[in-house]
Amino acid sequence: MPKNIPVIETTRLILRGPEPEDYPNFKSTFTSYRARFMGGPLNPYESWMLYAAEIGHWRIRGFGMWMIHDRDTDETYGMAGGWKPAMWPEAEIAWVIWPEVAGRGIALEATHAARNYFYRQLGWKTAVSYIDPKNLDSIRLAERLGARKDPAAPTVDGHDVVYRHPSPEELDGTQLAHGIEMEIGHYADPMFKPKGWALD
Amino acid sequence: MTFAIPTLETPRLILRAPRAEDFPPFAEFYASERAKFVGGPLTPEGSWRMLAMEIGHWALKGFGRWIAEARDTGEAVGLIGLFDPEGWPEPEIGWDIFNGFEGRGYATEAALHARAYAYDVLGWQTAISLVKPGNDRSAALAARLGARPDGDFTHERHGFMHVWRHPGPSELADGGVEAYA
Repeated sequence: MPKNIPVIETTRLILRGPEPEDYPNFKSTFTSYRARFMGGPLNPYESWMLYAAEIGHWRIRGFGMWMIHDRDTDETYGMAGGWKPAMWPEAEIAWVIWPEVAGRGIALEATHAARNYFYRQLGWKTAVSYIDPKNLDSIRLAERLGARKDPAAPTVDGHDVVYRHPSPEELDGTQLAHGIEMEIGHYADPMFKPKGWALD
Repeated sequence: MTFAIPTLETPRLILRAPRAEDFPPFAEFYASERAKFVGGPLTPEGSWRMLAMEIGHWALKGFGRWIAEARDTGEAVGLIGLFDPEGWPEPEIGWDIFNGFEGRGYATEAALHARAYAYDVLGWQTAISLVKPGNDRSAALAARLGARPDGDFTHERHGFMHVWRHPGPSELADGGVEAYA
């Protein structure tokens, strides 16, 4: 198991392991209404315990959630990566974006990179995302990542919907992969002005 | 991120970093009635998150709780050490002995070394232990360690707890291990 959490660089972002100095940003989102689909809002104690667990998850599983940073300013935008506590049916690909930076395609770019890492470096053959059926932004993001509802797959607790991500083969040089990268490219273009509702 | 969890040795125990293999005895204890004084009973998922949290505690605070492993059998016998999550009144010395390992003095042995580590290595000037009403064995252990009742504290999740104040480093010769072991 790697003691150092790998660093992933993308066009606009750097994904690094969660550090103590990033905790205030995490707490701000997880104690807010934004966390209502992620078991929140949490009180400060629960928020701290969850952040500590995010770090421990890496040591126990060898993978986990990265903190998403801006490549230039280093400010944090949210988290993306993998999550699998005991008793979860499968390893999940998860994301959370701080509400004030939603709508810039950051979750798409970070989660796409994290998924590629799991498939290419760790050899994952499949992955799911467990999503609250009312969490429309996350369902939209899962669909933009090529995931489809998998009604046959076991849920965490019966209150979530399972989205099955495309397999490594379905993302290897395919039209789907090209489409995802093209959308990320649009968001990375400083002249790009997204219209419509805010997208993660 | 890199962070190191030190290993301590006591006459009968090795205090070491929590790891994935500790989950079965850890979850068994926190699922049991015995865990009612320390935030349990927990679901298996809740126990797993707590085990992960114990590791992350070291990264966030620079100290934390160790898994106490019996030197003779290699079994994980408890979770003992230094605990100070957000919202805690002040840093605490805590001890949870897993099922089947009570009554052997493991908690005393490990807590003395954890306290010596806090005073000698981390430079703490004081330490408390929080004990829920009714947890008489834990209160008796706090008293054996030289701690004295020092008020109470109500936590939003854990509820009402008695505060026991440990003797400070100046009251203990050589950090306390030799004085009390």
